[in-house]
Amino acid sequence: MADLSSGAIPRRFNPWPVTIFTVLFILAVLFLTPTIGVLLSSVKTTRAIALGDLWSWPDRLYLGNYAEVFSNPAVHRYFLNTLIVTLPATLASTALGVLAGYTFAKLPFRGSNLLFLVVIAGMFFPPQVILVPLFRLFNSMGLIDTLWPIFLVHTALGIPICTLLMRNFFATVPNALREAAILEGANEWQVLTRVVLPLSLPALAVLATLQFTWIWNDFLWPLIFTQSDEKRTIMVGIVNLRGQYTVAWGVQGALSLIASLPTLLIFLYFQRFFIKGMTMGAVKG
Amino acid sequence: MERENRFWRVALLALPLFVFLALVIWPLLSSFYYSFTNWNGFNSDYDYVGFENFKRIWTDRLFFNAIVNTSIWMAAAILLPTILGLSLALLLDAKVRGSKIFKTIFYLPICLSAIVVGQIWVWIYQPDWGLLNTVIEQITGSRFNYAWLARPDSALYAVIVAWSWQQTGLSMVIYLAGLTSVPSDLLEVCDIEGATPWQKIRQVIIPLLTPSTVVVVALSVINSLKGFDILFIMTGGGPFNSSDTLAMHMYNESFRKYFMGYGSAISVVLFLIALTIIGLYFRQLKKVDDIYG
Amino acid sequence: MAQVTLKNIKKSFGPTEVIKGVDLDIQQGEFVVFVGPSGCGKSTMLRMISGLEDVSAGQIGIDGRDVTHVSPSKRDLAMVFQSYALFPHLTVAENIGFGLKLHKTPKAEINRRVEEVAKTLQLEALLDRTPRQLSGGQRQRVAIGRSIIRNPKVFLFDEPLSNLDAALRGKMRLEIARLHKELKDVTMIYVTHDQVEAMTLADRIVVFNQGRIEQVGTPMELYHTPANPFVAGFIGAPAMNFLPAEMLSEQQVRLGETVLDLPQSSALSGAVTLGIRPEHIEVSDGGEIMATLDLMEKLGSETLLHLTTPFSDSPLTARVDGAVELTEGQTLRLKFNPNAVHIFAASEVRPAMTA
Repeated sequence: MADLSSGAIPRRFNPWPVTIFTVLFILAVLFLTPTIGVLLSSVKTTRAIALGDLWSWPDRLYLGNYAEVFSNPAVHRYFLNTLIVTLPATLASTALGVLAGYTFAKLPFRGSNLLFLVVIAGMFFPPQVILVPLFRLFNSMGLIDTLWPIFLVHTALGIPICTLLMRNFFATVPNALREAAILEGANEWQVLTRVVLPLSLPALAVLATLQFTWIWNDFLWPLIFTQSDEKRTIMVGIVNLRGQYTVAWGVQGALSLIASLPTLLIFLYFQRFFIKGMTMGAVKG
Repeated sequence: MERENRFWRVALLALPLFVFLALVIWPLLSSFYYSFTNWNGFNSDYDYVGFENFKRIWTDRLFFNAIVNTSIWMAAAILLPTILGLSLALLLDAKVRGSKIFKTIFYLPICLSAIVVGQIWVWIYQPDWGLLNTVIEQITGSRFNYAWLARPDSALYAVIVAWSWQQTGLSMVIYLAGLTSVPSDLLEVCDIEGATPWQKIRQVIIPLLTPSTVVVVALSVINSLKGFDILFIMTGGGPFNSSDTLAMHMYNESFRKYFMGYGSAISVVLFLIALTIIGLYFRQLKKVDDIYG
Repeated sequence: MAQVTLKNIKKSFGPTEVIKGVDLDIQQGEFVVFVGPSGCGKSTMLRMISGLEDVSAGQIGIDGRDVTHVSPSKRDLAMVFQSYALFPHLTVAENIGFGLKLHKTPKAEINRRVEEVAKTLQLEALLDRTPRQLSGGQRQRVAIGRSIIRNPKVFLFDEPLSNLDAALRGKMRLEIARLHKELKDVTMIYVTHDQVEAMTLADRIVVFNQGRIEQVGTPMELYHTPANPFVAGFIGAPAMNFLPAEMLSEQQVRLGETVLDLPQSSALSGAVTLGIRPEHIEVSDGGEIMATLDLMEKLGSETLLHLTTPFSDSPLTARVDGAVELTEGQTLRLKFNPNAVHIFAASEVRPAMTA
């Protein structure tokens, strides 16, 4: 009772933040475990893993797996091939999405909404639907087992999502900006390149990240369109190398991590744009 | 002005539309055409076989197996990431310490390719030294070497777990974005009215998140219809076709057995299913737009 | 010679005709204000003059040249938008010089002219800032600066002050008036829904309603001799009162029990609508019109009286000196200034205007 007279009011303990933090922490550990597992495997010798020691903390770092991966010329080729496809296809699909998205957002015409729907509906279709005709098309052009079909298909299949995101972003750019620029003497191309695009850098960053990730990570198209090891991309390469490193789990782990590094780095770099961009493309739809 | 606009519309749309028509729409339409042929993928000549391929679908036990598997796959691949993502978003919205790091951790798997994800989870499910069985052995204290991916009962579900692990981050981000647009005064009204946290979530937040849900579900539908890579690497559709989906089946018929005509017929069915879902989705979207516009 | 000529301009969006035939000549150096309620077509008309919108029919001439089918950038005009439409990624200087840069003007020339304009508009200290860092009034001045730098023949303003708060709006109104005085030869066309802006800025006001011009005239002409009840109700605040009345003879009108003698004879007969502005109603012991005082709004220098009369359903507003002491509920005697009474045909007045 003496405490009461001192005027100290005991603060009520709020259990929520602690509970939520604990739940999130446990979930985060669960979510991280698979990735950590690969990381651990990549710094262990094949022997250690074979002895059932994959999931324990290593006593010492073993970098032999990474050395093996880096010294494998096939891996270099896979990386190079993937870059040759991914960078131009990212650029091309984003550029085409910008052109189409701008037209749909700022130069609507009779039936443009319908056309827009048709274009973005392309996003929903399983790629398997167009597999056979594309195979036949590229086969007749003699492009099978080159990187061209992969580039072309990714450029084309990127158009729906790029158009959708860019149109939605451009729609948030006030029309008055376009009109002001036109009255100042700009033509439509100048409006796009001097006014609208400089304002769209966050959207472009998001889009480029998305496209880069998808194309880099893609497996189906390079699997169908390439045959020789010379033309394989990294994801198909990982699967191919499985044969070579059947029980070399550590090498496989290192390879997987290295193959994922570009997309991880790009994501971490653009993260702040990313979440913003998801909102813009998605919710403002 | 309209004259200039007309010029620029054509100038700006020509290239994207041409590429889209040539490499998406035209192949889509030719798929219908090939589904009436017996092309084998190599010979330049083939025969028109009428509805032969579609008749074959009716007698193809594996096709119906694939339909069932696709339904299970899609239902689970839509529900799990959506519910998990929503829960994570609601937890993260409480803004506890470190929520930024948590966000990154939950989102990270999205950056990984299906191939890498598949490989990681193959190791987790590995019967002898995989993480899952190791943990089970630790808990029960007895030997356990169930082969999750090699048993028809569990293979498909094991892949679904791996898939959800990867996709959850995406729905979480979309829901988090949606949560920022829930007006805080509405939640303050709830506090004044004495609503419990659960009532607040159930009666106010989730209904207000409907636009986000539409997007999440749409993306899940899109992604799960395409769900091929991860099945390809984890099970290859096996064992005994227990994880064979339509996309997988189509691939096997076209590019393993080289029945490209028949494969096209399967893809036409896949297309029609997708079309139905898109139709339903756009109708729903319009309703949502009317309410939350 | 007229600077801007509009000949029988029509505009339709799909099946809806929003401009139904507009003819207007605007002289060089004139400040013309398009005013009207929202949706009356005034902004569409301005956008058609600018070229951002095509006309459906008719002809637009600027400086003697038919520009009906000329693109906006070649019409030699500038426009200030309601939202200012400043380019957020460019500095104030780059915003002002944007048009010159597009026309490949040499850099030194651009810099010189930007500085000149900045000086006129007191923007010198802000040239390196971006629009985000500016206040509403400063943004407005940058938008004006961007327009005047190219010395256009015609200046268009699309509700330029409606995004500003009341105090700033008054200040910017003065600045625009000052600008017009400085740029003597420049024709200005200004769209607003605010009749105060119209009255204070315009050389001539054009009143739009439902896609047509109701009346064109100087502010005072519109105030004193409105052509119809619409103009009468739109110009002047608080709005003119409309009361049902009956013509007894050419110069006598009966309002309830009271008969008013008109200074001029009217061609109308029978049931008419009598219009009287609040400021032309006087509370006076000698008044013959009886009204009950419902509510008073004291504005300080003046007081608005909201009254009910036995002969009309709609309330009557009067404006009296702020010093007058009255109590609500009181019955008052009113006197209408006969020189300020307007007589309109009864059919012309729509209920919306008398509300």
